[in-house]
Amino acid sequence: MKPIGFLLLLAGWFLTLAALEMLSAVTPRSIFVLAGVAIEILGLALVFRANLQTEAKD
Amino acid sequence: MLQSLFWSEISAAICLLSILLVPLAVAGLALTNNGLGKTRSAAHAMLASMCVVAVAALVYIAIGFSWEGFAGRSAHVAIIGGKPWDWIAAQPFFLRGLELNNSPASLAALLQMFTVGIAAMIPLGAVADRWRLGAICASTAVMSGWTYPLFAHWVWGGGWLSQLGAIYGLGHGFIDTGGAGTIHAVGGLTALAVVWIIGPRSGKYSDDGMPAGIPGHNLVHVVFGCILAWVGWIGLNNAGAMLFGGTPPAGLVLVGINTTLCAAGSALVAVIVTKIRFGRPDASISANGWMGGLVASSAATALISPAVAIMIGLVTGILVALSVECLEMYLRLDDPGGAVPSHAVAGLWGLLAAGIFASIRTGGAPGQWLAQLIGIATLIGFVLPMTYGLNWVLNRLIPYRVDSGGERQGMDLHELGAGAYPEFMVHSDDFIQR
Repeated sequence: MKPIGFLLLLAGWFLTLAALEMLSAVTPRSIFVLAGVAIEILGLALVFRANLQTEAKD
Repeated sequence: MLQSLFWSEISAAICLLSILLVPLAVAGLALTNNGLGKTRSAAHAMLASMCVVAVAALVYIAIGFSWEGFAGRSAHVAIIGGKPWDWIAAQPFFLRGLELNNSPASLAALLQMFTVGIAAMIPLGAVADRWRLGAICASTAVMSGWTYPLFAHWVWGGGWLSQLGAIYGLGHGFIDTGGAGTIHAVGGLTALAVVWIIGPRSGKYSDDGMPAGIPGHNLVHVVFGCILAWVGWIGLNNAGAMLFGGTPPAGLVLVGINTTLCAAGSALVAVIVTKIRFGRPDASISANGWMGGLVASSAATALISPAVAIMIGLVTGILVALSVECLEMYLRLDDPGGAVPSHAVAGLWGLLAAGIFASIRTGGAPGQWLAQLIGIATLIGFVLPMTYGLNWVLNRLIPYRVDSGGERQGMDLHELGAGAYPEFMVHSDDFIQR
């Protein structure tokens, strides 16, 4: 689960970069950047959850 | 922006004096980390702080500055979609080619020889009482030689984040004049990564996951460290505002006022929140609140009004106090120094607040909040995985965590062979459940 969380973090960042490069209108660009940040938050939640499970096992 | 700055001898002298205050922030942070750890690791914590500062300064000057550079100097630029993306500087190693006089580039190198030590010292508080000295030095070398310079180049060295305004029309580009992101969020996120790798201290969590309260061994050190850090922070924010924000000397009065107000508001709110939550003010969380206020102030002190600085401080105090509890209770993150709440959380909030409020102060810069959000996304989505990966690999090569016997004995005796307080050797493992 932890590697998937980190992959989501990177995916969210790439989405913000893609929004910057591929969209020029303010609204769609903002929406895509916010979507990228949302994906990062999901990735962060997954990494925290994976860490919790590891700690519980130990 | 720097070209428009009237960079006289007086400006350079004021900037240099401000930079020379920054080691007080280093000392303050070291004392705070020391006080929040255990008695049996106190000497180790201080020696580790000294080693971190030493390694960070050596590595940064040897190779770090060559990756970071300074705005207007040579860099590697990729053309993507017809637009230039400045990724990394192309400067010679060991500051060769840099005139070591009062030029802004040389002053920036001096300032960051200190600030890279602050960034590398932040994880020490989070992984206190269990991180081996050799591993601390190795991790510091990686941070000051690669992680910090790379992000600092993007923000302060003319990199792509600083160019978001000029190339993509997003406000003035990513703003972080005092290093809320570049120094503190990078340090705080590295602290988070290292805590994930090393795990909690022995005895911190019971079998059912309840955390034990392990109080800091010297709260006088903690609070005195906060006061010392305040002086250093005023120097840091002054120098950052001049070098990376183009603030003239006349604007430094506002920087000093805003830095103090932000820290004051944050600390007082942390006192009130902990009084409400626990029945009494908690000194260590309140100190984290003070530190968090200083961190949040660093994003844009010269660009906000005093009222806004107080408001940012108030929100920081709430965020820090609640995130200390949330991370410890629900996410099982054992961070005795409060590095993640007071540096990562407060730093990210400071950056966001700069995007919302600095644009109002500067007469409205459309897209400034989006530039800040992209910077925050870069910290969470790129810097955090990168620093986790680098520390994970290092942990395989040089095991980070001390063995259980060493942890029980204490880092002082185990690694140094002598304690910090030989006359008062009291070891209590009977921690009171909070």
